[in-house]
Amino acid sequence: MGNERLSAFTRQAGTILATLVGLLILTFCIGRLMPVDPVRAIVGEEADQATYEMVAERIGANLPLYQQFVRYMNDLLHGDFGISIRTGQPVINDILHVMPATIELATFAILFGAGFGIPLGILAAVRRNQPVDHVIRFVTLIGHSMPIFWTGMIGLIVFYAVLDLVGGGGRISDYYIGLVPETTGFLLIDAILAGDWEVFWDAVNHLLLPASILGYSSMAYITRMTRSFMLDQLNQEYITTARVKGLSKGRTIWHHAFANIRVQLVTIVALAYGSLLEGAVLIETVFSWPGFGQYITNNMLIGDMNAVMTCVLLVGIIFIALNLLSDALYKIFDPRTR
Amino acid sequence: MKTLLKVIGPVLLGSTLLSTPILAETPPNMLVVGFSMNNILTLDPAAITGKETVQVLTNIYDNLVALNAVNRSQVDPQLAESWTISDDNTAITFKLRSGATFASGNPVTSTDVVWSFKRLMKLNLAQASFLKTHGFSAANADASFTAPDDQTVVVKLPKKVDPQIIVQTLGIVGPGSILDSKAVMQHDKGGDMGAAWLTNNSAGSGPFTLGQWQSNERVTLEQNPKYWGEKPGMRRIMMRHLAESQSQRLMLEKGDIDIAYSMSAADLKALEANKDVKIQTNGGSGFYYLAVSMKDEKFQKPKVREALRYLIDYQGLNDSVLPYFGRLRDRPIQTGLLGALPNAGYKLDVAKAKALLAEAGYPDGFSTTLRAISDVPFMSAATAIQATLAQAGIKAEIITGAGDQIYGAMRERKYELIVGRGGGGQLPHPDSNLRAIVYNPDNSDQAKLTNFQGWRTSFYDEKINKMVDEALIEGNKDKQLKNYQDIQSYYAEMVPAIQPFSEVVDSVGFRADIKGLELNPSWSTQLRTVKKER
Repeated sequence: MGNERLSAFTRQAGTILATLVGLLILTFCIGRLMPVDPVRAIVGEEADQATYEMVAERIGANLPLYQQFVRYMNDLLHGDFGISIRTGQPVINDILHVMPATIELATFAILFGAGFGIPLGILAAVRRNQPVDHVIRFVTLIGHSMPIFWTGMIGLIVFYAVLDLVGGGGRISDYYIGLVPETTGFLLIDAILAGDWEVFWDAVNHLLLPASILGYSSMAYITRMTRSFMLDQLNQEYITTARVKGLSKGRTIWHHAFANIRVQLVTIVALAYGSLLEGAVLIETVFSWPGFGQYITNNMLIGDMNAVMTCVLLVGIIFIALNLLSDALYKIFDPRTR
Repeated sequence: MKTLLKVIGPVLLGSTLLSTPILAETPPNMLVVGFSMNNILTLDPAAITGKETVQVLTNIYDNLVALNAVNRSQVDPQLAESWTISDDNTAITFKLRSGATFASGNPVTSTDVVWSFKRLMKLNLAQASFLKTHGFSAANADASFTAPDDQTVVVKLPKKVDPQIIVQTLGIVGPGSILDSKAVMQHDKGGDMGAAWLTNNSAGSGPFTLGQWQSNERVTLEQNPKYWGEKPGMRRIMMRHLAESQSQRLMLEKGDIDIAYSMSAADLKALEANKDVKIQTNGGSGFYYLAVSMKDEKFQKPKVREALRYLIDYQGLNDSVLPYFGRLRDRPIQTGLLGALPNAGYKLDVAKAKALLAEAGYPDGFSTTLRAISDVPFMSAATAIQATLAQAGIKAEIITGAGDQIYGAMRERKYELIVGRGGGGQLPHPDSNLRAIVYNPDNSDQAKLTNFQGWRTSFYDEKINKMVDEALIEGNKDKQLKNYQDIQSYYAEMVPAIQPFSEVVDSVGFRADIKGLELNPSWSTQLRTVKKER
């Protein structure tokens, strides 16, 4: 029994490792095949050939591709993620700086998305083909199909410029910058730790709009998925049996149908959260949000491979972790998998 | 589920109802400037590239001299109170002002000045090219820059050039920035002369010091309490990365930023009607141009190049595509610089172009490609030029992409037509324009002189090379002026590979209560003089 568990564990660890290495090779190839030149980014348009070659040698861009990759992997195995070309800082420091901004944004967004999406999805399923279902489907269709940078821009114009309800771009107003010490990098938590509520509310004020818009687009997805999962359940015979048996409608919906889709919902929400963590670049750009999505994109655009590879590795790990987490939650929610 | 709602409900409500009202304006002693910081990769003056970094560092580092914002050819004293040029035009002697100190409290001495120049040459990064062009190198740096005493710096010219161009070069942020040698060398790492440390730290004597640089987020500048000159109007400058022009405009309208440096023409135009916002436009550096590759046999024929000259709608392009970014200019020297002639007055003339094409053996035109980076105003300019080329039967397929793809093809000399921007000009000397746009000392592929656009276009004309070289070393000012006028006439006559249709201008929007803002065409806009009148 013990051996079986061990070999299952080894197998899983091997799969994860192979996935990550594959991911790195793929990213490296794509990044190097892209027509961007990190050396040119460093030396600029006006530099002569001597300067160009000197810098190329310094960052190793003059080596053959496979040697560059071997060099990178070797550094990686020694725990060295390298220096970013764009910031001149160790990549790991950069990520520790941009990740909290994105986690704050994505967490609020997923709370919004799941918090509204799941109940709306259930409501739409229960009231199938009634006006309320049509309204919900229409609203979510818009959320799903409108380009997010456009929604973001309109949101800024309406809620920031005209109604003055929320803050503009950035994580915080300029006059609050530097008021609370950066302990965790999570602005909200840092403000609470420092007991500075003014900063806290200002940060919430800046977070609200981008998080809601991001949340709206993932809500659209979550609602639609919830609705179809629920419809699937509500059409089953055991629901009819439960109702015939005399159970109230609410009890049937929540205790029977909903209980059966929890497992699928966990997966959906976990994956939506994962993609919010890595893929919020458009909303981050519109809202000047100094997050992970912008970091990886901007570094990709100048071919800053140390930064890009580390980011991709991190995204890979996040997705694998979320998958493992939802597997674990399956076991809690679904007695059959125990 | 219900508990979840219980948690986020109050947060959503609370933030909109209880939060402090958003202030309608920035604090009185802090200036907030918004622009895209995508191109800021380092804050080491020797290694910077491009406009954005210059905009930041000009407030942190002083030079020996400063370039005047209004009269482009004029050079003003800064850390040097005076300078003299030797009779034989081979050396410049700068006398430093007394009492100037760095932000660290160290006095500014000739040792620091000489060390800064030697550091620039020895590191041999982006900014060294300004001096390398004139014969300075890591090898001759020790002999070229000397300090006979604490207050005197002597710059010996390794090559015969107009000493004025060297004085001007030392007025540019980057090659001319003076660093605190003691402060920097405390952070020397393995002989890098503080390069790693200076990436995000500062050691200057300017009105502000670097507070913090967060890449693609913000740069904060703090007033330098030890500044030797007039006290700056602001205690702090907050520069914010706002990549989107729309965001800059909204925040400027709301008063959340005071100055927006990089807005699009559409947003600038929309702001014209706003009485709380003003727009300032001033000269910039370089040209917008149409370039051909001389590797293409069609474009080797002068008649074809001349035909292209008459297939650009100069007025139309400047009126519709380039307001706020460009001003009509069809000569290779920017207005305001020594010897600049009035425009030649080329106009769209399809009949004439067709006749020229027929003479060259292309009565029905030909097919070709036209490259432009996928950004405003390049794409719109390329589309407009594509349309006018078509009128004479030239079918130009537009190829678009990022900077590396478009200018990369030009650097590899593998293109046909390109709509681009460039041609020097940060240095307010006609030589800077000409050397960038037409000069080409060695036309071989192996030379790889990618820093010369003349080489990139594979255009080689011995006579114009000679004229450019001779004009630069001409000691007599009247003769020099005549030389530059002659070069422009010759340029018009022989039709080289690059035809400018506009010279670059810069436009910024700022709150109406901001006073004392004066855009510098060499990008070194001083924020020291800016005040808020409220």
